[in-house]
Parts: sequence; structure tokens; C-alpha cells
Amino acid sequence: MFDAFFIQQLVNGFSVGLVYALIAIGFTLIFGVLNVVNFAHGEVYMVGAYAGVVLITALAPPLIAVVLFVMAVGAVAGFGLERLAFKPFRRFQDEASLKSKAMREATLLSSLAVSIIVREVVEKVFGGAMRPVPFEAQLTDPVQIGELSFSTGQFVIFGAAVAMFAGLQFLLYRTRIGLSIRAVANNPLGAKYVGINTDRTIIATFVVGSVMGAVAGILVALYYGSVFPTMGFAPGVKAFVAMVMGGLSSIPGAVICAIFLGLAEAVATEFLAQGWSELIAYGFLLLTLIFFPTGLFGGARDRV
Amino acid sequence: MSKRILPLLVTLAVLLLLPALLQAMGSGYLFRVSITAMIFVILAASLNFITGVAGLLSLGHAAFYGIGAYTAALLATQHGVPFLLTIPLAGVAAAIGGVLVALPTMRLVSIYFAVATLGMGEIIYGTLLNWVDFTRGPMGIPAIPSFKAFGIDLSGNLGSYLVVAVVMLASLWVLHRLTHSYYGNALRALREDDQCADSMGIDVVRLKGEVFAIACFFAGIAGSLWAHTTGYISPNDFRFGESILVLAMIVVGGLGSLPGAVIGAVLLIVLPEALRPVGDVRMIVVGCVMFFSILLLPKGLFGEVSALNLVRSFFGGGWKAGSARQSVGWR
Repeated sequence: MFDAFFIQQLVNGFSVGLVYALIAIGFTLIFGVLNVVNFAHGEVYMVGAYAGVVLITALAPPLIAVVLFVMAVGAVAGFGLERLAFKPFRRFQDEASLKSKAMREATLLSSLAVSIIVREVVEKVFGGAMRPVPFEAQLTDPVQIGELSFSTGQFVIFGAAVAMFAGLQFLLYRTRIGLSIRAVANNPLGAKYVGINTDRTIIATFVVGSVMGAVAGILVALYYGSVFPTMGFAPGVKAFVAMVMGGLSSIPGAVICAIFLGLAEAVATEFLAQGWSELIAYGFLLLTLIFFPTGLFGGARDRV
Repeated sequence: MSKRILPLLVTLAVLLLLPALLQAMGSGYLFRVSITAMIFVILAASLNFITGVAGLLSLGHAAFYGIGAYTAALLATQHGVPFLLTIPLAGVAAAIGGVLVALPTMRLVSIYFAVATLGMGEIIYGTLLNWVDFTRGPMGIPAIPSFKAFGIDLSGNLGSYLVVAVVMLASLWVLHRLTHSYYGNALRALREDDQCADSMGIDVVRLKGEVFAIACFFAGIAGSLWAHTTGYISPNDFRFGESILVLAMIVVGGLGSLPGAVIGAVLLIVLPEALRPVGDVRMIVVGCVMFFSILLLPKGLFGEVSALNLVRSFFGGGWKAGSARQSVGWR
């Protein structure tokens, strides 16, 4: 059972789980602040990957420059997304419309619409087929440790994820903007009353979340060696599943569940065919929703 | 009897005028577009019943459409069952699927419910794709017979059109009677506040199960029509994208409005086809139409209030003005 191949699978699963975690953090941050689901988050991931690949193809800069560029693109994408799909629906600030179901569903559907448009435009511009990453830039060089062989991509994903988690902790708990993000997530109206600029805070949240999503996108693109317009869908949905399993507004919960999902998928490939193991995440989602309707790590929440 | 004139006109236009026009133009392509539009009208109307009227946001509707299509296709190709039986059987299979989905997700509300239906939809899609022995997986099912049974041959363009049109009108009529009745009022109460509806004596859990069963039944029927008219189905016809397309239709038309669902479905099928000369921008158009209609017309092209008024003035036998009791719909 615990042969080298199995451990290999676990390591692969762990790096996939970290990618899910990076995406799930964006979901969770945005859900925490606005109480709506951002369905365009998977497209931010895809746009990040495409931006990185375009830069690599054009200039072939070092990895760190690519990541910084993708972070910038992610920030712009998050800002634009918020302005386009979320801001117009915050016209009404009174409590009744903040709680209204119709408003929340309008935002959900508008982010869905924006995600369709972005995906289709990318498909029109770059073509629907898989687009390979230039070979020199791929992070697929094998690294042999004993019987196990890892790829450099796994180390890069691990390092980047740890750095981003640390950065996020610092941002949320050591800076003023982090304080206001936590305040708005806790109680938007209360935050407004004590003089926090909620509009700016929401933008900041989108920027932070989208930066993490975009970086996840380029890391995956380099690790797997290709990008395609619909690449955001499956990881996006799985990160979403991780967020729901973690309890919608708990960041540590989302990260743990995302890593768990990555591991579960990797282990499942031992026993199931490739296609079936894709379904593991949804199975866990349903089990969680049935037995823990508010997620594994969510505190007692109001019915929303 | 002037109140009965509109439904009669609509029926006549769909059953006589439009096919006569299409036949005169002699274009198989136009027949194809109108058949697709009518199938999506059924789908949109059934999703509107769950999401618009009962307020349960479902993101996996295409999966039930797929169950219906696969039931009809497998029955017709492997057991030679005639279409008169496959269509209702497909509906029943999808309804059973719907109830099985609804049972565990009953306790969930709003976004949790939406996520659960999304997960269920993906599971059903994955099953269609991976259960190769049963569904032939990604190869799909070819050579599904058209509408041909008991010596009646309705396999031509006109025949298929008429079959689909009749089924669509019947489905719309049933959904209309359910939506604009006391039953529909109970569903709207459920949508506005399910805890409050519960305390008023509405059996919320039973109602949610019934809504799912009914809507999935019609989605399954739409699926069987799709299987019989195209002759070939594969799991890709029933992905998340189709669920979103149907959702976009009812949002554009107006959530909770049955005429709106019809308008939305026709618009989102016909518009991309009309734009075909411009290039294949189908999904971009769908996305843009959806975005701008949410932004500029949050109530939809034909909102629920105007839909209810229309129904009251033209279709509502139980809403006769001046009757002694104040009626609010059919019993």
C-alpha cells in the first residue's frame, strides 16, 4: 500500500490541492465581504494563465518576472470584474435590498454572464484548442529524491503557495486594509458606521483574491505545460466545493478542504478510472452538504 | 369569449401558420432552428417552474434533460420502443432522477442548494460520460429513430415540427395551469420566505419534492424530443454550459414569468442563429444579452407582474372579474 508510487500520488495530489486552495481563498474572501458567489473567479485563473503564457512567448523573462506580471494582471482583472459585474448591483444600500434574495441572485448571474463573455472572447482571440507553454519555461524537470521523482513545478507551487498564505495572513492581520476587510466581512453595515470605506475595501478584497487566483493559473499552466479557454471551470468548481465544505467564510477551512480534495482525487486514481475520479469532489460536496449543511469548519451561521 | 382569443391565436400560429410558412420556404435549416427553439422553450419553462416560481436556484438542469435524452435514445435504439412511449418514459425517468436529487438536498437553502444541484449535475454528466458499457460514453448514441410508429410516419421536417409543437403546447399548458393556480401561489410563498410559508401550513418539503419532480419530468420530455429529432446524442449536449444557457433564458425573459421564459428561449436560440453571418459568436451574444438584461432590465423582458396580469386577463377562467368570491386562481 505505502509503496513509492502511492506516496508519489499523494505528493501530486498535495500540489493540486494547494492550487485549489489558492483559488478557494479568493472565493472565500469575496464571499466573506459581499456574501455573494463570484462565478467569474475561474476565469480570473484562466486569464492569469493566458497572460503569463503570452508574456513568456513574447519575452521569455525569468519566472519571478512572470509571476509579478501575472499578479498585476490578476489585480487589474479583479478590479475590472468588481466594477463591471458587482458594483452596478450595489446601487441600493438600504438594509432591505442588502438582504434581498433577488439582488444576490442578480449579482451571481451577472458574474456568470461576465465569465461567459471573458471565456468566449479568449477563445475567439487565442483559439479553443490547447496552447502549449514554451518548453523552456515549463516546470516539468524531474527531481529525483530516493525512489521518488518530483517535478520542479511541485516545488514552485509549494513555495508560492506558502508565500501567498503567509502574505495573506500578514495582510489580513497586520495591515489596516486587512482590518477593514475583516470588519466588512464581519458586518458590512457596522463597518460603514465606524467610517470604513466599504467600497474601497470590497475592491481591495477582489484584487487580493484575484491575484491569488491568477497566480494559481500561471503555476498550473507551467506545471502541466498547456493552457486552454475552459481550463478555469473544473478547478474553479472544485475550489468552490472546497469553500462550501470549509463553511463558506472560513479561510483555514477552505484551505484544509482544498488540500483534502486534491489528495482524495489523487488517491482515487489508484482505485478508479480517470473519468470517475473527477467526480470524487462532487461526491464529497454532497456528503458534506447532507451531513454538515453549514460546512465542516463554518461557525453557526444564519440561514442565508 | 374574447378572453379565449389569445390562447387560440397562439395555438393556431404555432400549429398552422408557422409550419405553413416554413414549408413554403422549404428550408430544412429553418425547421431545425424552430424545433430547437421549441425544445428549449420546454426546458426554459420547466426551469422557470423551479427557479422562477419556487425560487430554488438550480444549476444542474441540463443533467435531467440528459437523463431524458438518454432514456429515450437507449429505449428506442436497443429495445425498439416507439416514440409515443419513449417520450413519457423519458419524462418519468428524469422525474425519478429529480426526486432522488431533491431528497438529500431538501434541507439546503439558497446558495447551498444551488451548489448541490451543480454538483449533482456534474455527477450525472460524469456518469453519462464514463459509464461506457451503458451509455457508450463520449462516443454518444447514433442512429436514434425519428418519430415513426404504428404506421404513422412523422419523420420528415414537417412531421417532427408538429410532434414537437404539440408536445410543447401541452407542456406549456400544464405548467401554466400549475403556475397560475393556488398551487402556484403556494410555490411563490415558498420562494419569498420558506420559513414563513411553513408556519402558514404549507408543506415545504413535499412541495419542493413535487416541484422538482414536475420540472424534471418536462426537462426529460425535452430531452427525448432532442434525441429523436437530432438522431445523435453525446454527453457534451448536457454539460454545465447548457444549464447556464437555460438559466440565461429565464433570466432574460423574467424570473417567475412563464411567457417570459418562452420569449427568452426563443430569443436566445434565434438571435445567435440570426447572427451566424457575423461569425460564430453564439456564446458571446448569450453572455452579453444576459449581462445587459440583468443590468438594465432586472425584472426581465416580460416580468412576473406583467405575466400575471396577462394571464389574468386572457387565460384565467378562475379570475373572472365581478364574480361574487374574490378568486385568486384555480383550485
